[in-house]
Amino acid sequence: MSLRKTIEVVARLKANKVIANYAIAGAVAALNYVQPTLTEDLDILVSIDGFASGPSGLLLLTPIEDALARMGYTQRTDVGYLVEDWPVQFLPVGSALDEEALEQAVELNVAPAGEAPLMARSLRAEHVVATAAKLGRTKDLLRIETFLNQKAVDLSRLKSVLERHNLMNDWRVLLMKVGIKDPLAGVE
Amino acid sequence: MSDPSRTYPDNAPIFARKEEGRLKRAALSFAEKLIALDALRARAQPIVDAREERKRIEQGLSSSDH
Repeated sequence: MSLRKTIEVVARLKANKVIANYAIAGAVAALNYVQPTLTEDLDILVSIDGFASGPSGLLLLTPIEDALARMGYTQRTDVGYLVEDWPVQFLPVGSALDEEALEQAVELNVAPAGEAPLMARSLRAEHVVATAAKLGRTKDLLRIETFLNQKAVDLSRLKSVLERHNLMNDWRVLLMKVGIKDPLAGVE
Repeated sequence: MSDPSRTYPDNAPIFARKEEGRLKRAALSFAEKLIALDALRARAQPIVDAREERKRIEQGLSSSDH
């Protein structure tokens, strides 16, 4: 039971065409750029292609649920499907920012040294930070601060993402809340 | 009022070592960080279990109040 195995199962969902595309998001995506911090679940951004909506307009993740059940993963928790002992939260693309983040995700090797490479898709740093700015929860503020302190995000790329998705105002308001000087001021 | 004659140890080297450790951990490969996260989670599990247990007890208590 390990996070690597959980990610392997998600990659298998794409290989088996259950999901058209996916990318690791949230705290585990942030892990690629900053030091490891504790998280309770794995967020997976998924493409909405091929999924039907229910009467309420909510996207039905039944194909994922069925495929996981066929692989023997039938348990659910309040934070998602339990896969190899890790709760996995599948998040359908919900905005143009998500769509861009999914499209531009990077491929990472999740296999330990000495083992055959196993590639998985994960969000770019600028999309992790822009998503945090959009969500604006306390833990997102902390994430932004960590990325800035550890110089883990390309400021120029971040600025263009924020501008493209009309998030510059949210960004400034968030930084003001925690008293951080805007590092994007003066960035081209 | 603080006592100006009292001396305190310099903690700067401790913070510097902590920062060095943070940078080292940030420089690990993604695969190594996944293993580190599994270990972190395992270490935190007793705390999570205790929290869940407390929640269960609190819910039990509040439902019996009604």
